[in-house]
Amino acid sequence: MSAAVPIIVLFYVLGVGAWLAAALDRAALKLMAGRPLAAATMAEPWRQGDLHLVRQRIWTERPDAMNWLLAPALYLILAAVGMSVVPFAPGFVVADLDAGIVLWGACEALTVVVVFLHGWSANAPLPLIGAYRYVAIGLSAMLLSMFVLIAAALPAESLAVSAIVESQASVWNVVRQPPGLLLFLMLGLSLTLRGPFDYADASDLAGGTSAEDSGPARAAWQAARLAMLVSVSAMTSAVFLGGYHGPWLPGPVWMLVKMAGVLAALVGATHMLARLPPARMLTLLWTVLLPLAFLVLALVGAEVLLWK
Amino acid sequence: MEVKDLAFFVLAASAVWTGWRVFRVDSMVRASFSLMLSFIAVGLIMLLLAAPYIGIATVFMMAVEMMVMALFMVMFMMNPAGLNPMWMVHQHRLAAATGFITFAALTIAVLLSDLPGNPVDPAKPVIHDLGVELLGNSMLIFETAGITLLATMVGTVILSSRSGRYGPADEGSLPPPLTPGGRPAGRVPEDEE
Repeated sequence: MSAAVPIIVLFYVLGVGAWLAAALDRAALKLMAGRPLAAATMAEPWRQGDLHLVRQRIWTERPDAMNWLLAPALYLILAAVGMSVVPFAPGFVVADLDAGIVLWGACEALTVVVVFLHGWSANAPLPLIGAYRYVAIGLSAMLLSMFVLIAAALPAESLAVSAIVESQASVWNVVRQPPGLLLFLMLGLSLTLRGPFDYADASDLAGGTSAEDSGPARAAWQAARLAMLVSVSAMTSAVFLGGYHGPWLPGPVWMLVKMAGVLAALVGATHMLARLPPARMLTLLWTVLLPLAFLVLALVGAEVLLWK
Repeated sequence: MEVKDLAFFVLAASAVWTGWRVFRVDSMVRASFSLMLSFIAVGLIMLLLAAPYIGIATVFMMAVEMMVMALFMVMFMMNPAGLNPMWMVHQHRLAAATGFITFAALTIAVLLSDLPGNPVDPAKPVIHDLGVELLGNSMLIFETAGITLLATMVGTVILSSRSGRYGPADEGSLPPPLTPGGRPAGRVPEDEE
């Protein structure tokens, strides 16, 4: 099998997944409002994307043009690189790195940098406030996810994502460490600037880091956010939900079904959960959720020592 | 092999170029992230040297560190966004001379020393071996270095925050009241209300 096939599949899944996530976003709003779902809902993201593409690009006064233009592209690249370590079937993976989850962690950290640069480079107040606010929350959420991922890697005794998936052949990690899944989903919301963790692009800042975005740049930034959501759902499925393991259906189908489920859960959380004020969220992250991540890590360590 | 050699030269050149940009740009945010790019190039060179964990962890650590650094530098300076042009160097003649002399000395040392040519077997579990080393024989050194760094950071913060905005911090500096004889101005922490 050519090495290009997993790469093509990765971009295909990223594209289709992003469209599915955008359609789910709109469907969720309709469901919550009690309005009937129409087939046109599925096409709505395309229409809105087209609208952005035909609008002109607005420039602020003395922006950092290079970083402003690059930010959406870098965000998209980080989504693709992060997903490249996730196997869709045994051996079917773009980059089967021994340090797979470390690479994912590096992508998380660089995502915070890219979101900050996106808000900073516009040289305008609202994007800047969004960027600063996001860094405070995003960095803490990302720090926490490192312990969550290490706990998921402990039973596998490996940092490779394929080994973590293999270690879940009998028991999925969600059974072994349910809080880990919740904490990781929370990180997913933070990486994609959504719902209760939308401190960067929130409506209270008129769009935050993308308040001054318009035209194709706005479409690109929103598409990159959706692609990162797909990437997060792939990582969640592989690390906590057993990846391609499952009865009756073939492995890749299971993987896609789980990804769609995680996407739906994240979209639901986006619209149903309210956001805490930043100071409260920071206190919650450092005093409650970080110790919880430590506790999970210690319990999984004890389990591995006692039953292996 | 040739692709690896080419990758090394490209990465080494970009590490030097972005490192040089740190001192040429006019904004703290740009300087921080230029330094980050320089470290990322070095991290990728570590990948070429068959040290995948250290290489990728360098990228991860530098992204977090430079983000925190940019945030704090802008926070402590009177340049709210870090986008206003500013002069980024102090004592720059001395610093530039020291930098060039150090670079030349290190380059000469590298060129003159007899470096081992010892390719790592691709099947060798380098990450596993590194973990056993760090949490085995080298654990004392590793932990001592970690605690020393932490103590240094805490000490630096304590020393630099002694002179508070309204007088020495250890003598209970408080902002002046808004009305004569009133409560000190400013935010009262939630648990003291």
